[in-house]
Amino acid sequence: MVRWVRVLGLVVVAVVFVAACGSTSSATNTTPKIKVGLVTDTGGLNDKSFNHLAALGLAKAASTGTICSVGGLQCSGGLSVQGDVVESKTGDEYVPNLTNFATKGYDLVIGNGFLMQPAIGTVAKEFPNVKFAIVDGYCSDANFNDLKLSNCMDLLFKEQESGALVGAIAGLLEKAKKAPKNTNVIGAVGGISIPPVNHYIAGYKWAAELEDPGVKVLVGYSNDFNATDKCKGVANSQIGQGAEFIFQVAGGCGLGALQAAGQAKVYSFGVDADQKDADASVIASALKKVDVAVYDAIQAVVKSSFQAGENRFSLQNDATGYQIDNPLSDGSQLPSDIKAAVDKLAADIKSGAQTPPADIPTT
Amino acid sequence: MTAIGDILHLLVTANLWQSVLALSALLLLPALGGVISERSGVVNIAMEGMMLTGAFFAVYADLHLHNPWLAALLAMLAGALMALIHAVVSIRFRADQIVSGIAINIFAAGLTVFLIGRLYGLQDVGHIQNSEALPQIVIPGLSSIPFIGQVLFNQNVIVYVALIILVLTHVVLFRTRLGLRVRSVGEHPQAADTAGINVFRLRYGAVIISGILSGLAGAYLAIGISNTFVPNMTDGRGYIALAAMIFGKWTPFGAFIACLIFGLGEAIYYNNSIIHASPYLLSALPYILTLVVIAGLVGRSIPPAADGLPYVPGEE
Amino acid sequence: MGTGAVVARPRPRLPGIVRLARGLAMPVGSVLFAFVAGGVIVFVTGANPLGAYQGLLCGGAGLACAQGENSALQISNSLVYAIPLVMCGVAVALPFRAGLFNIGAEGQLLAGTITATAIGVHFAAWPAVILLPVVLVGGAVAGALWAGIAGVLKATTGAHEVVTTIMLNYAAQWLLRFLIIGGPLQPPGEFSASAPIGGNARLPTFLPNDSSVIVFGLPATVYRVHTGLIIAVLAAAVFAILLWRTSLGYEIRALGQSQKAARYAGVSVRRTVIVTMLIAGAFAGLAGAAQIAGVDHQMTDKYFSDTTGFDAIAVALLGLGSAVGIVLAALLFGALHSGGAVMQSDAGISSNLVLVLQALILFSIAANFLGAILRQIPGLGRRPSAPAPTAPGAALVTEASTALPEEGEPAT
Repeated sequence: MVRWVRVLGLVVVAVVFVAACGSTSSATNTTPKIKVGLVTDTGGLNDKSFNHLAALGLAKAASTGTICSVGGLQCSGGLSVQGDVVESKTGDEYVPNLTNFATKGYDLVIGNGFLMQPAIGTVAKEFPNVKFAIVDGYCSDANFNDLKLSNCMDLLFKEQESGALVGAIAGLLEKAKKAPKNTNVIGAVGGISIPPVNHYIAGYKWAAELEDPGVKVLVGYSNDFNATDKCKGVANSQIGQGAEFIFQVAGGCGLGALQAAGQAKVYSFGVDADQKDADASVIASALKKVDVAVYDAIQAVVKSSFQAGENRFSLQNDATGYQIDNPLSDGSQLPSDIKAAVDKLAADIKSGAQTPPADIPTT
Repeated sequence: MTAIGDILHLLVTANLWQSVLALSALLLLPALGGVISERSGVVNIAMEGMMLTGAFFAVYADLHLHNPWLAALLAMLAGALMALIHAVVSIRFRADQIVSGIAINIFAAGLTVFLIGRLYGLQDVGHIQNSEALPQIVIPGLSSIPFIGQVLFNQNVIVYVALIILVLTHVVLFRTRLGLRVRSVGEHPQAADTAGINVFRLRYGAVIISGILSGLAGAYLAIGISNTFVPNMTDGRGYIALAAMIFGKWTPFGAFIACLIFGLGEAIYYNNSIIHASPYLLSALPYILTLVVIAGLVGRSIPPAADGLPYVPGEE
Repeated sequence: MGTGAVVARPRPRLPGIVRLARGLAMPVGSVLFAFVAGGVIVFVTGANPLGAYQGLLCGGAGLACAQGENSALQISNSLVYAIPLVMCGVAVALPFRAGLFNIGAEGQLLAGTITATAIGVHFAAWPAVILLPVVLVGGAVAGALWAGIAGVLKATTGAHEVVTTIMLNYAAQWLLRFLIIGGPLQPPGEFSASAPIGGNARLPTFLPNDSSVIVFGLPATVYRVHTGLIIAVLAAAVFAILLWRTSLGYEIRALGQSQKAARYAGVSVRRTVIVTMLIAGAFAGLAGAAQIAGVDHQMTDKYFSDTTGFDAIAVALLGLGSAVGIVLAALLFGALHSGGAVMQSDAGISSNLVLVLQALILFSIAANFLGAILRQIPGLGRRPSAPAPTAPGAALVTEASTALPEEGEPAT
């Protein structure tokens, strides 16, 4: 019996070897179209924020490819590239997904997400002739240190700026006693304690305390970027402690926090994209124009102006900021003096007169 | 230790206990289903998968029918169908019931995401409107009572349903002839068969009821607490319900107490904004609590005598 | 012939190939059933099953690749996924034999990854000859202890191991997160990952770690298949030897057959339960250590959603609890995992179809669909079947008596 198994095993190995030797083809790309591959993080394309924006940027540039068949996305063909997208279900898949595009001869491979840094660093080193771009990080080694590769573009955002602007709105409304119950308590619901999330929260807390020194800022984590019930639970707990402004920094999960705010008749802030339609309680959104960054990266490759290394996106190039969304509970718009104050803060940040911190102040 | 102090402060708030009851109801429904199924002699660890399936179909149906009640009904049907697979494989084909249960859970996890892919492409499932959700019911008058009013009389409709089913299950199982028959089928199927009781019919029925209850729980999660479907959104609650059932020694009220404990763990974790402890350790709380409770306080948990054994007529 | 005097005649020993075919029939039949049923599901929901299966074939075995995928790379990926599945498959199969259900292989694997990482980082200065074995053994010990908790609880308080191992899984997941996000294993810098383990703690890959060497058209570093493969095969061998050639193995199998009979035979039930869980956990912990040492070299948040320990349940069952079967089943599931990614990117079908296939395989084995189907075919002359040949159920509380078939014997 064992003998037969060994024979079987040898046959299988032989077949596999023949197959492997026989079909090591590389990409047969005869069309001159530039091919761009996007690998998303584990939140999925349905997070209405981070991954969704990246997909939007690719769709804007692409005229064909699987990105165009993603429901709700329109390919505008701005740069006439072929755009394909792959979702990473787990962190295990970062390297295979990135490698997959690289081996098929794509011109630009974009990794979306801070957690992908070592993976994209590994793959970028193996394929020096393929260009890579990563949102929220560097092509790094296992220590998350920048490898400074010449084929790698780092798309970095100053999320704390956007967080600060909505934090200012909250602080100013509390100070002007225009909040639902004027408890002087606000909250932020983060997904997991990783830098992009914490940058937002840091700016939020800093600006709220700047504009309204007595305000209490509650910071909680849902430990999840997907399941809306968890963010709703954390938000409800904060609302129970008096929080009247809920800032969601938790991707798809955070939509539950927005829903909780709406049901409790308090206000909320959206994140990354304009989340006005997510809930009526969203009075403003903190913006992170990932779509702009992705489009710019593709454009750089198309126009051969690829700049490896750090590419910063902030108020300086209008890539962060805030967007006023739904009206207040009495139907009125955000008071113009508050809006003016927030814009002044934005100008100060832009000019360097004020600098929101990147890490959450531990007060 | 400030963390303990924070938690103690929390324990005297009505908000916390309102949250505890709401979360316990989510566990109670599948736990009751498990009790019924296992009392009839069929091991059922597929609550997780049945709940997940119910959640998916609840959202899908609600998005198209804009009616949470119909959606909940369809969710229960979906749960029942999943349970039917388990029943057929376990009863008719006499498969190992734990394997079958695990297979259901894997099947549900894969099928729901696969269906999302087929139905929505790479997009998301969509969110239901607040008006299409299973509603919160505030009982007038009673809900104004301080503390108790908020905890007991200001809950989602499904919480009340779950509590009613809790009482019903206990009464039927222990005070009616039907319940006696079900229990006899789980203890001595051969004797029950000889006495003219249809072992197979009762077992099928019990398993399908467990599917209905788990499906309802899925609907509660998806269109009562949340407003959309997310892959794996049940997040192990079906397994916790299983633990609750064992902790409760296969009795409805015993399971309820366990569900309250686990609900408490989850509610505490949601309050991590005001507790000075790592949110990750807080997340582990319900599970460690279960271990401690199952190990220490419970003593030997004896299931129904014929639990897990396929019934072969004529064999002893 | 007369009044029923029966002459007992020993059954002739069938030729080896027929016995092999009969032994393989059930698992192979289950896989075929799953693929057919899965194909129907795909077709009914409006997609092309052939496209789906082509993707699986390409990603799994490097065959039928149509979009320029590199076959050798796909095979390498499949092997990488298969390696921990072998060891975790053993971690599930061994307790099966004793009538225990180890659903905790995932938590035990995580205990192994945590320990391996801690050792590999903290003692990075040690020479490889010492460090690497310590990393692997450390992981195994951690996994053993993690499983031991469930084993001791079962032996002393009768706590159902299905529940305790599942709770331990969750506890391990959150412990992992606690350690690498703001916890002691996280280096300064706020990245939700541990520091990388030292170079001396690494399991070498089969191909040189040099991206200027080109193999099958790609830089050599792309092929991540590593020497943990040897460890996996050795683990399977150790499992077989332990089960069939040691007295402990005899006790384990006796326990699985019947707790009462085992006790009469002088087997200490408590001791055997605990020892079995310890050994099983050691295999799973070793799998975790091998993952860190061989592939990832550091612990990242992705381990939170790792599913190896659960996939291993299907591996153990499909492999019918035998060492060879586990290896083959692990290769199959590794191929499915790798194939799922290609299927998704090439055919646009969610890789979760692989989970559906896995479940169908499990159903088929548990219910012995093949046997039921074959019984409908007249003339095949099979006896009416007893309960399907699967792992004992809640065996130590009630006394289920079906055991896994012996090596090479047809399923009874």
